[in-house]
Amino acid sequence: MSAAADNIAMRRKPNWRVRLTPWLLMSPALLIAIAFFGLPIAFMGRMSFNEHIDQRFFVPGFTLDNYAAMLTDPTFSAALWTTMRLALISSIVTVIIGYVFAMLVWLKPKRWRLAFIALALCPLLISEISIIFGWWMFFPKNGLLSYALVSSGLITDKISLMYTEFAAFVGLTYVTLPFCFFILLSIFDGVDKKVLEASADLGAAPVRTFYEVLLPLTKGGIAASFAQSFIWAVGTYATPSALGPDTLWTIGYLIQEQMLGKHNWPRAAAFSMVLTLGVAVVMMIIRLLSSKRTVLNG
Amino acid sequence: MADTSIVPTRDIHVAPIARARMDAVVLRILTLTFTLFIIAYIAIPVVVTLVMSFNDAAVIRFPIKAWSLRWYADFFNSPQWVDALKSSVIIALGTTLISTVSGVLAAWAFERFTFAFKPLVYLLIMLPLFMPGVVLGLGVAMAFGDVSMFGVDIYGSRMLVILAHSLWAMPLVFMLMEATFRTVDHRIVEASYDLGGRPFQTFFEIVLPSVSTGIISSALFAFVISLNEFVMALFLTTRDTQTLPVLMWLSLRSAGTPRLAVASVILAAALFVSLSLIIVWYTRQLRKT
Repeated sequence: MSAAADNIAMRRKPNWRVRLTPWLLMSPALLIAIAFFGLPIAFMGRMSFNEHIDQRFFVPGFTLDNYAAMLTDPTFSAALWTTMRLALISSIVTVIIGYVFAMLVWLKPKRWRLAFIALALCPLLISEISIIFGWWMFFPKNGLLSYALVSSGLITDKISLMYTEFAAFVGLTYVTLPFCFFILLSIFDGVDKKVLEASADLGAAPVRTFYEVLLPLTKGGIAASFAQSFIWAVGTYATPSALGPDTLWTIGYLIQEQMLGKHNWPRAAAFSMVLTLGVAVVMMIIRLLSSKRTVLNG
Repeated sequence: MADTSIVPTRDIHVAPIARARMDAVVLRILTLTFTLFIIAYIAIPVVVTLVMSFNDAAVIRFPIKAWSLRWYADFFNSPQWVDALKSSVIIALGTTLISTVSGVLAAWAFERFTFAFKPLVYLLIMLPLFMPGVVLGLGVAMAFGDVSMFGVDIYGSRMLVILAHSLWAMPLVFMLMEATFRTVDHRIVEASYDLGGRPFQTFFEIVLPSVSTGIISSALFAFVISLNEFVMALFLTTRDTQTLPVLMWLSLRSAGTPRLAVASVILAAALFVSLSLIIVWYTRQLRKT
């Protein structure tokens, strides 16, 4: 279809103008992407080889110390481990909740669909800072959870789940859930519901239908949504650092700390480069796996 | 279900029917439980914030003893918070304009034309969407830290934040518009060409009006993204230009007053309006098709 348009355009215009048109159309987008993404990333790549001497932000030079430090620095390896563990567990939980949620929306009659989609959009639309603040009022000793449990008689003393890893997990899962849900919903929409009926007609119980029919058909979506929420959870630092214990140092927190706290630009840049490369790799995997359907019109 | 193999074929449905009924009841209960769980889970932070914003007390504490609009008045009487809100709205509007225009044009180029380095350009446009905010903020802050253009300090200016926010908003617009353009009937485009319409004329007079729904919803998404973002803004704003989420983040540790709840509610209200508009537009489009 685009080839047809090209042919028609080519009949009317000199060749160079036809070739220039797409670039002209793309120029604002390209300009932004190059000036504010390509350039800064290149700058950051160069910065990561600079040296950090005395209290200056950076000293031009060429050293691999900043990368080598990641292998030797116990703070970094601890942060890497923390980040991976947090991201892994919260992504698994997100995928499970998102999967069941998407399956429900898919199975429910169409009139429920919009209400559920609106519900799923909530966490996506509310600022991460508002989400943090919401949970921040839920978990502490004088928060809603403690109050609800005490007044319902389940416990006698006030409890606090604030500044625990559990709180960090809940916050992280909440932030990543909508991404996961929408990817999985688009996968479910691609499944023909008749296969469920066929499976039931052949005598399979719902659980067996799920394991042998639905799960294999949605495998790609599970992988893609897992990768997507993993990326998000690895990159974010505000939620774990605000809800989790003070010792919960993620890579994102470390980058911010090196940049704003210690003014060690080369080190911050090196950490960022590693994070960037990791994200790029996971993104390639997503692109291979994800489907291109639209969700809202399903 | 292993026993089905030893049951005669014509009786196959007799035993499972009772079991299927049991299964259906269990399944119903599970479904209901999960639905309630998910509604509660998503609603908790939203409802807690809303309730707390009408709390009269100065500390966050349950149960709530008295209700008032005291903290709303406090918010609007505080120049620092009102300025932050103003900054947020200006930056969000700027981001919406820039990312929508550039994203729509780029998506059209991708949908209609073949050109060299297409996958590479695609990657360049889409990659920022998947980058952690801390990396983007850091990169832009480092690269533009002490550059000044035309005598204006870029660093700390609203323009820099607008362009940084566009890094997330533009790919989103691009992605949504690429899908929307795919639904355009290419015959009307060709008809326009055949009648002598020039490419730009065809684009503005034929294509754009037929995808207005997509443009409006992607613009709203861009607005929402910019209004909510605070990690990049944290790296790029100064005291004069800081956005509402940045101010909220900075005061989260120091003072947990209900003022934060008010700020959250104001942000959420803006987003709620945007969301309702998106849904209204989509339902209208669904009815059309």
